[in-house]
Amino acid sequence: MATFHKPTSGTEWATLVLAVVVVLLGLPLLIMGAELVALGGSWYYVLFGAAIIAGGVLMLLGRTLGAFVYLAAWLVTWPWAFWEAGLDGWALLPRLFGPTLVAIAVALTIPVLQRIERSTVTRGGVA
Amino acid sequence: MKNRALLLTATVIGGLSLVYSTGPGALAQVPEHDAPPGPGAGSDGAGGRPPSYFAGPSPSAPQAPGVNAANIPDGPPAEPSEATEAVAQQGSAPAHDDWPAYGRDNDATRSSPLDQITPENVGKLQRAFVYHTGSKPGPGQANKWAAETTPIKVGDGLYTCSALDDIIKLDPATGKEVWRHDAGVKYASIPYTAACKGVVYYTSSTVPEGEPCHNRILESTLDMRLIEVDAADGKLCEGFGYHGQVNLMKGMGESVPGFVSMTSPPPVVNGAIITNQEVLDGQRRWAPSGVIRGYDAETGRFLWAWDVNRPDEHGEPKEGEHYSRGTPNSWATMTGDNEQGLVYVPTGNSAADYYSAMRTDKENAVSSSIVAIDVKTGSPRWVFQTAHKDVWDYDIGSQPTMIDFPGPNGAVPALIVPTKRGQTFVLDRRDGKPILPVEERPAPTNTDVPGDPRSPTQPWSVAMPRLGFPDLKESDMWGMSPIDQLYCRLKYRRAKYDGEFTAPQIDKPWIEYPGYNGGSDWGSMAYDAKSGILIANWNNTPMYDQLVTRPVADKLGLMPIDDPHFDPKGGGAEGNGAMADTPYGIVVTPFWDQYTSMMCNKPPYGAITAIDMKTQKVLWQHPFGSARANGPWGLPTYLPLTIGTPNNGGPVITAGGVVFVGATTDNLIHAFDAKTGKELWSDVLPGGGQATPMTYEYKGKQYVAIMAGGHHFMQTPVSDALVVYALPDAH
Repeated sequence: MATFHKPTSGTEWATLVLAVVVVLLGLPLLIMGAELVALGGSWYYVLFGAAIIAGGVLMLLGRTLGAFVYLAAWLVTWPWAFWEAGLDGWALLPRLFGPTLVAIAVALTIPVLQRIERSTVTRGGVA
Repeated sequence: MKNRALLLTATVIGGLSLVYSTGPGALAQVPEHDAPPGPGAGSDGAGGRPPSYFAGPSPSAPQAPGVNAANIPDGPPAEPSEATEAVAQQGSAPAHDDWPAYGRDNDATRSSPLDQITPENVGKLQRAFVYHTGSKPGPGQANKWAAETTPIKVGDGLYTCSALDDIIKLDPATGKEVWRHDAGVKYASIPYTAACKGVVYYTSSTVPEGEPCHNRILESTLDMRLIEVDAADGKLCEGFGYHGQVNLMKGMGESVPGFVSMTSPPPVVNGAIITNQEVLDGQRRWAPSGVIRGYDAETGRFLWAWDVNRPDEHGEPKEGEHYSRGTPNSWATMTGDNEQGLVYVPTGNSAADYYSAMRTDKENAVSSSIVAIDVKTGSPRWVFQTAHKDVWDYDIGSQPTMIDFPGPNGAVPALIVPTKRGQTFVLDRRDGKPILPVEERPAPTNTDVPGDPRSPTQPWSVAMPRLGFPDLKESDMWGMSPIDQLYCRLKYRRAKYDGEFTAPQIDKPWIEYPGYNGGSDWGSMAYDAKSGILIANWNNTPMYDQLVTRPVADKLGLMPIDDPHFDPKGGGAEGNGAMADTPYGIVVTPFWDQYTSMMCNKPPYGAITAIDMKTQKVLWQHPFGSARANGPWGLPTYLPLTIGTPNNGGPVITAGGVVFVGATTDNLIHAFDAKTGKELWSDVLPGGGQATPMTYEYKGKQYVAIMAGGHHFMQTPVSDALVVYALPDAH
């Protein structure tokens, strides 16, 4: 069964903090995004929120997959942003700027997560 | 503070933690009020105090002593009379070097023949001098300042006023004070804004040249007086009114200082001074009258009144009576037309702006209109309405501009009417008929306000370029991140929005777009007859409104200004309003994310447009104003990015081919190439540039002046500095 990984170094701590941040960013997106759907609005936010929460939780579990889940959600955001906002730079700003900053940070955790995964596998593994 | 606490408690939304940021310089131009109560919250709850706590005095109560600021003895009610024969005024044919009227000339063109400053050399402009008027908030005083002043220049004098109406003559070359008349306006008399848009230059028809008060400076004050002083020495003109002053509170009935005020220079048309007055919005249905009056420019004698609900009575009200209350008021600068013998009055709507069920047909016929009044009789000759049964505060803020419009049978005397809707109407001055086509288009009528139906159609000026954008969509919502953008999308979906003219609603907020800042507000437009170029800067700032039942309004602490419990620092002017005497109060905020102070719609929030009036095509248009002094939580970003900010204050166009305009919330004065729109120059002002600049020549040198007074409502820094620029001397 899944257990949360206990960080043992500075980079692992940073990865853990980032994973928590991703979950915290996802929560308002999920909650308000659900209300938005209920009011007949865009589905993007609730789906993006759910995806990055899942990604963040997986990262907390020390799974590299978590980072890839976030990055996949981030990649899908790009065509959605251009579809909705066109080439208007100001309109693209809220859609792409913040998620991209987080995406860079998440990408940097991939080697850390891979190291955690390897170490947990050698120690007997997590199911 | 108790009220503020109540207001705060009432606005916690949907379990989100309440962040009440108070930073200056936000992207919106409205002081921070609490958000509308939200879906379902407009009609529940009961106040903790008895309803009488929130009620003003009887509208028939006599006027208390002190409301007549100068304690001028009123005398018996005056009958209508005719003005003293007039002589030609400076504003009819301005001297080449001068700027003798608020809009430069009687036509209000804001266009100068000066051509020393050109697109090639404007970059070299330097400060020639800075003059400090001395009027800014004192210790313990709320910031209600926004001078909005445009000086005038005639001959050897630069004449201006302070935000509290002191009249000042300056040396046009050095800014040295020649004289100053202390108007004695008290802080309590400041209505929504301490503003003095300008003074009027008047040449007497009876006092010979060389004698005192041949040339006079006329001013209307915040505390409802007309003052005339000698242009030579600033001394009161004894022959005008009561020792130089006229009490405009005569006949107005019950009021308190600050309820009724004058901030715009009154035009003189064929010897008649025409007065209008700003009546504080949102207070009560039976607010003091919006009556328009004529006074003899020579003597201050009463000439006539145009009182909407007493249309056949042009004299002053009898003892114990008063001008009809709650009628549409006009606060914009009016335009006088000597040839047609008309004054063009831009009107607002009746008191209690957001509820129309208690208005008379007579009021509905003239609200948010241009009313052309015969200056001899005080009777309207024609009316053109820009918004029917207005419940959006779409009062006309701009001074209309007179132009010769090229028609198939020669030039037509025309009037350009900018509106907050961003619709610009072009009318024939002789009969008020549209010269460019106006279409009545279907408007939303869906509302939950009982007994207050909306007009099924509204007028659109279809041939003039629209100063605005199409209706908002959810995807137009903005923010710094997906989270605040999502919050705005939610606000959008939680509200009622049926496009422009969305009708008021009680059970949830409604989106008002364009907002009540315009489009075009009081800055007005500039028109160069030679090139046919019309310059307009405008806003793009939606509002978020909700009607609340009386118990909710009481709970929010909304009360009219003449309520004995009214707290001047508790707000309640313009934004949220008690609308006492009606069943509802109004809660109005910018359509923004109140946690970040950023507007919910995407930029630009302001733009500037040049229109070729020969073809009615846009020559150029671009976002106006940078992000340098604006940002989330009201923090300056210092980014030189042109995002397009809200702006208030008009443009000036010169024969040199340069457009000067301040207005934006980045505290800059800008110079644009009139032909291409390219920004040629800018300078950081000591305060917000929310005033229309002006230009003049003196001793062979061209100057550009702007009052950098700032604006409390735009949240720009307040200053008392009049900044004057000129090119460096040639060597």
